[in-house]
Amino acid sequence: MIETAVNFLVETQNPDGGWGVEKGRRSNTEASAFALLGLGSQGERSLTTIIDRGLKWLTEQQHADGSWPLTDQFSQGSWATALAALALAFFASHREQALRGADWLLRQEGKPLGRLQSVIYRIAPHKLPVQQNPDLKGWSWAPNTASWVEPTAYALMALKKLRPHLQSSRIEARIHEGELLIYDRMCKGGGWNYGNSTVLGEDLLPYPDITALTLIALQDHKAEANRVSLDALQKMLVQVQSGLALSWSILCFALYSQETAEWKALLAKGYERTGFLGETKTLALALLACTNKVSVFQV
Amino acid sequence: MLNRRQFLIGAGAAAVAPYFVRGWAQSSPWEKTAYRKQERSRVAILSAKSYDIPLKDTILRGIKPFGLDLQGKKVVLKPNLVEYDPAGVINTHPAVISATIEAFRSLGAREVVVAEGPGHRRDNEYLLTASGLYAMLKDHGARYVDLDTDDVRPFQLRSHFTSFPHLYFPETVLQADLLVSMPKLKTHHWAGVTLSLKNMFGLMPSAVYGWPKNPLHWAGIHNSILDINSTLPIPQFAIVDSIIGMEGNGPIQGTAKHCGALIFGNDLVAVDATAARLMQIDPSKVSYLAKAEQFLGNMAQEKIVQVGESLSAYQQDFSVMPSFQHLKTISG
Repeated sequence: MIETAVNFLVETQNPDGGWGVEKGRRSNTEASAFALLGLGSQGERSLTTIIDRGLKWLTEQQHADGSWPLTDQFSQGSWATALAALALAFFASHREQALRGADWLLRQEGKPLGRLQSVIYRIAPHKLPVQQNPDLKGWSWAPNTASWVEPTAYALMALKKLRPHLQSSRIEARIHEGELLIYDRMCKGGGWNYGNSTVLGEDLLPYPDITALTLIALQDHKAEANRVSLDALQKMLVQVQSGLALSWSILCFALYSQETAEWKALLAKGYERTGFLGETKTLALALLACTNKVSVFQV
Repeated sequence: MLNRRQFLIGAGAAAVAPYFVRGWAQSSPWEKTAYRKQERSRVAILSAKSYDIPLKDTILRGIKPFGLDLQGKKVVLKPNLVEYDPAGVINTHPAVISATIEAFRSLGAREVVVAEGPGHRRDNEYLLTASGLYAMLKDHGARYVDLDTDDVRPFQLRSHFTSFPHLYFPETVLQADLLVSMPKLKTHHWAGVTLSLKNMFGLMPSAVYGWPKNPLHWAGIHNSILDINSTLPIPQFAIVDSIIGMEGNGPIQGTAKHCGALIFGNDLVAVDATAARLMQIDPSKVSYLAKAEQFLGNMAQEKIVQVGESLSAYQQDFSVMPSFQHLKTISG
């Protein structure tokens, strides 16, 4: 599995140095960030040229304001900025670019849901169709839109990783509010989906991939919600054993000092079944999971 | 160089122009190029009792009245694959997609691609394997494209129900000769019903709009449905999986309801109006259908030529959420 994943990432690097979501696709910031983390964490000299080309592509994509677009098809900074900053934070020689990305993240915030929702939440929260605190601001997928769990978790990962080097006075407040938002959106019984726990009175299901990456973002907390969600994650994996779910979960369990051997065996079997659909991100995460490279996400 | 008079005239024109533009937009929020309503539309309803019987012949009979020329064409099938719940009936059944791939290939299609941009889950491998699509596509050697992460191209809107200046469409869809919307017959807790027009939400790439494509919801679901469908620049067809539908709290948490039919048509408004009537829902009370009827297709029953089975033979009383009870005014 390890050799297969490394070979996949080496062979699917685009001529421009980046990686697409799949082999042969346009270079993409999210896929390239995970590919760089996967390969970079292996500490293999033979990968140096590949990694350097990847870093060159990634740094060249950064906008003057510190952000990254998702691909060169877009002129606007995107949610993938958090992942680019996280990836570059791993490479000490690129910390300055990572910090510029983190500064951009600190200037971004999800749009609150509005004054009316805010008033209803304070007076009669059960009347809201979607049960959540509408005032909390995390990070959004697209600028000037609402906050969601996954982009908020990525932003928290990047900011916490770079926190010792950031000068901004806003960092602690932003991290704190982002965490509040995530806890506010936890599903009943633990875990997270994209960001709606209860809609029109019905509880929605949590997803294992989102739960695991969110717990990674919250790793420095010992909240009861974390413990409940870790238990929930174990149960979710009985149903969902995809490469994405297992890879994130193995990294999460390792960070929380839980056993991972059983899940690693399932990950290898899963690859034989589907090849993880040839998705760059999943292969890169599987590589990180199989080789215990949790330090990439550790804060 | 402008003199003072020219400047004032220009500035005045610039100041009042938005009022004219807005006024025009209010009276006619679609452009001429968006108008595609025909004098009459044809919709076919065919019996299909279950997913366990061969459906290819039914699909072939269902598309025959429309004379689709598929020879050498690239076809994109867009099923509804929004979420997977082991106990639910959420997605277009793989048996219907499988039969459609076979039918379209037998009519000479060069390539039949299955494509979706799931709005909730990013885990394609799980969605495809759990729903049964992965095994089916592998058997057929058919390609699946995740539209959420596809390359995209921006298009100027042909209608202006939302305030988006443009919408991004995925390249896989733009390069198709025919796009087939294959929704599941379902009620919907925000839109009333979700059928072939609403199914086009899944075309919108989540890498741009986010999971769950929230900016399109904030712009108004009905408005977004209209702008997406009016702007789509390629020919469309619809096959509605009405063998087992969903009533109540759709599109995800409703309950299964057997109808035993497939609905076909090349006018998506007419198809959706017919599908709504199948659920004993008045299409004229579904906001986006009522507006779509003005320029995208036919909603009125007298403008729809019904072929195949009779509508009344398959009509079922689909329950809706209390906030959509006003849609339930059709009986019999």
